Amino acid sequence: MRARLESCLQSIDRVLLGKELQVRLALTCLLARGHLLLEDLPGMGKTTLSHALARVLGLGFQRIQFTADLLPGDILGTSVFDKESAQFVFHPGPIFCELILADEINRATPKSQSALLEAMEEGQVTIEGATRPLPSPFFVIATQNPVTQGGTFALPESQLDRFLMRLSLGYPARAAEKALLLAGSGRQRLPELEPVLDHAALAAIQAEIPRVRVSDALVDYVLRLVEATRSQPQFAWGLSPRGSLALLAAARAWAYLAGRDYVIPEDVQAVLPAVAGHRLRERADPAGQGGGTLVQWLLREVAAV
Amino acid sequence: MTTAKSGAALQPIPRVGLTWLLVAQLLVVLPHLGHLPLWIVGLWLGCAAWHIQIFRMRAPYPNGWIKAGLMLGTGFGVYLSRGGLIGLEAGVVLLIAAFILKLVEMRSRRDALVVIFLGFFALATAGLFEDGILAALYYLLPLAALLAALIGLQQSALAADPWATLRLAGSLLLQAAPLMLLLFLFFPRIEPLWSLPGPRERGVTGLSDSMTPGDIAELGQSGALAFRASFEGPLPERSRLYWRALTLEHFDGRRWSQVPEAAQVEPPLWEKRGAPLAYSIVMQPSNRPWLYSLDVAEGGPDDARLLADFRLQQRRPVTRPQLYRLTSWPDAQREPEGSVPALQRALQLPERGNPQSRAWAAELRRRHPEPEALVQALLGHFGREAFHYTLKPPRLGRDSVDEFLFATRRGFCEHFSSAMTFVLRAAGIPARVVTGYQGGEFNPAGNYLLVHQFDAHAWVEYWQPPRGWTTVDPTFQVAPERIERGLQQALGEEQGFLEEAPLSLARYRSIDWLNRLRLSWDNLNYGWQRWVLGYQGEQQMQVLRSWFGKADLRLLGLTAVAAVAATLLLVALWLFKPWRREGDAQQRLFQRFEKLLARHGLYRAPGEGPRAFAERAAQRLPDHAGAIRTFVELFEAQRYGGQQGAPGELGRALRQLRRALPWRSGEE
Repeated sequence: MRARLESCLQSIDRVLLGKELQVRLALTCLLARGHLLLEDLPGMGKTTLSHALARVLGLGFQRIQFTADLLPGDILGTSVFDKESAQFVFHPGPIFCELILADEINRATPKSQSALLEAMEEGQVTIEGATRPLPSPFFVIATQNPVTQGGTFALPESQLDRFLMRLSLGYPARAAEKALLLAGSGRQRLPELEPVLDHAALAAIQAEIPRVRVSDALVDYVLRLVEATRSQPQFAWGLSPRGSLALLAAARAWAYLAGRDYVIPEDVQAVLPAVAGHRLRERADPAGQGGGTLVQWLLREVAAV
Repeated sequence: MTTAKSGAALQPIPRVGLTWLLVAQLLVVLPHLGHLPLWIVGLWLGCAAWHIQIFRMRAPYPNGWIKAGLMLGTGFGVYLSRGGLIGLEAGVVLLIAAFILKLVEMRSRRDALVVIFLGFFALATAGLFEDGILAALYYLLPLAALLAALIGLQQSALAADPWATLRLAGSLLLQAAPLMLLLFLFFPRIEPLWSLPGPRERGVTGLSDSMTPGDIAELGQSGALAFRASFEGPLPERSRLYWRALTLEHFDGRRWSQVPEAAQVEPPLWEKRGAPLAYSIVMQPSNRPWLYSLDVAEGGPDDARLLADFRLQQRRPVTRPQLYRLTSWPDAQREPEGSVPALQRALQLPERGNPQSRAWAAELRRRHPEPEALVQALLGHFGREAFHYTLKPPRLGRDSVDEFLFATRRGFCEHFSSAMTFVLRAAGIPARVVTGYQGGEFNPAGNYLLVHQFDAHAWVEYWQPPRGWTTVDPTFQVAPERIERGLQQALGEEQGFLEEAPLSLARYRSIDWLNRLRLSWDNLNYGWQRWVLGYQGEQQMQVLRSWFGKADLRLLGLTAVAAVAATLLLVALWLFKPWRREGDAQQRLFQRFEKLLARHGLYRAPGEGPRAFAERAAQRLPDHAGAIRTFVELFEAQRYGGQQGAPGELGRALRQLRRALPWRSGEE
């Protein structure tokens, strides 16, 4: 099973050059049943990554382009009157798909944003009084441009919290970009990707991850991290219990990906920037972009053993 | 100076620390006020205001020119107001000035530390000037404030409660108390290798080494304390309490003074007779080397000796309250044989002057060929004729004895003793003047005697075989109540007792409750001087001897060190409670692993995980990468994988690594 996961990673790496760490983290996020927020400038490969993940994992893929005039109905679907049956027939929206790419989520109005975020949290949608379950597995990969750009609605903290991880792809390394320029865009090679996993295999893996062992000593380390965010003066606020649960879940998936059946402190450290970065703010800059330096501080100062 | 740019040195001073530093500075400077020039106070106010403005960012730090100017100006000011830069007084003023000036250029924690340490030192110097019980209690305040400043410096800039810091400082002081007591009891008082100059006494009255008419009457105006005495037996009668300070043998017609020979010749011969008196004296500083004693005294400090004229003197002047024990034989026979040079000195008279007295002496000699009869006649003359005992005698001219005996007839003890000695010498009887104190005030609260400066007295002793020297007091003939009851009673109502010292409590002895209060307070001070300040040298040895038998200094020192070490150990045990630490074998083994690698310069940062550390170590020590990885994998498997491997397995892996690794990286 793990060999298939490794080949998944290799396949994606062939499309998205030089981003092994981010790819691995994105896969970790999906294996831990979390949703992923990709934050970066346009054209950095966010869409390519989502496409590649969907193809390799054998998931249905839908893309919703968020714009300022997008309405909740455009996401969830609407009932349309059918003349033949003389009844309202529900036309499901793009959300009824296994992997959703919510592109440029911060361009839409808060009303539309929250329609998606509610679906993410509940795993079901309620439309016109009827509750409809979403497919399983259900992943959302949302992308956003940094909010300092014009014409955007920043996601509030409570909604950021719904994402297990926030990743930023960043510029490719020189060698990777050269290969990209020589071999053509990764998007063109997407159709070459073969599905490696199917629904059943993915479900089996996801069921195995909670069984990855977390020892007392490791929980102590997680607690030390969380307590530091709550007690140290440079943190505007601490991590919530949902945050610490997310940290542990991601660390389990990471350990599973690494082929271990127990979590070590390095696993926690590997996922900490992605899991905690968007949940923390500096006291000196509570409206800022989040806790890159705070996470570095945690990694450096909190006793790992 | 704050030019060092290292990160730690330039840490800013936290607010709480600064607050307590300013308070401590005020409290340290306060007890010095009595002997500081006034401009120092202005300097302190200015510097404190300046620093507060700096802290509020309303004022800049001084530049080099201003600092140099302040320094030079202060040095010059000290020079002007203290007449030099050397000596205790000028030194202390300089120290305080430095302590104050450092405030304006105090930027970082390091500077503040310097100021605090200077403060501790300045506080210690305050003890040189004032060491009474109230002062000692007061010194606890600046001590606590300095400690609080020290603690405040280490606190985060966010700590905002100065009282919590002070409480911590107070509890630290309390915790230090047992150690202080231990050191007080056992630490040997080492005499300084150089003589520490005492504070210059200003206006402290006391006997001087010579006597002219009017000197002692002036002392009679002073209510200051001369010494306190406790007798081991019952208190002797007042009329026997003649405390000798000095023997004056040379007369120049007006002034009585000591002769240098008295200090050089062999100690006098005397025979013990009668019952001895044992007593101890706590002497107030007199800045003179002589000690007060009853005739004839034995004992005293190690370097004290009895000089040829029966005065007791030590090598160094008494600059601090000093305790000494004596045994006296009041009925002893003093120099029954007499020595020719001593008797010659006791017959010395100026060649000219006082002709009337000389003539009268010759006449007395004719009438009373027996010396004893002559002395009695002379004493009787003082008692019979209209002599008047007064604190305000008229001024006498060149022939002071003539004027007193035949014209004014008003005088204080020095007039009577001087006149009698002169007449005795003129009549051929060896005689000399003795100055000292007479009587004293009994304090029932502490069962001891208080002797004030107004108890100063002068009397006469003359020599005749076979009795040797005999003490007589002409003042007794004129004013017996002076001897029997004291100066205040002798002066009566018409003359103001201590009228130049309206604040002296001794003046209001007639008010009963005030008097009792005064005596109780004095008793407390006396106890402080005897048992706390006086606990050194001989007394310390005596106490330790009574506790430990034979006193071996080295053994005592070792005992003290051991006791301190044992106390600290107990405190440490109590604080850390090693027996309560949970036994986490894995973690301990990992710590040993870290220690092992630390010898090779590999230190784990707190946030570094075991595996990352092991990888780093393996790269650094490629020869031992296998052993390092083995240990860490085993550690991970046990600690995080929940594999119930015996701790022994981990220990074995560690031992293997230890055997493989060289002791130090250099040996590879």
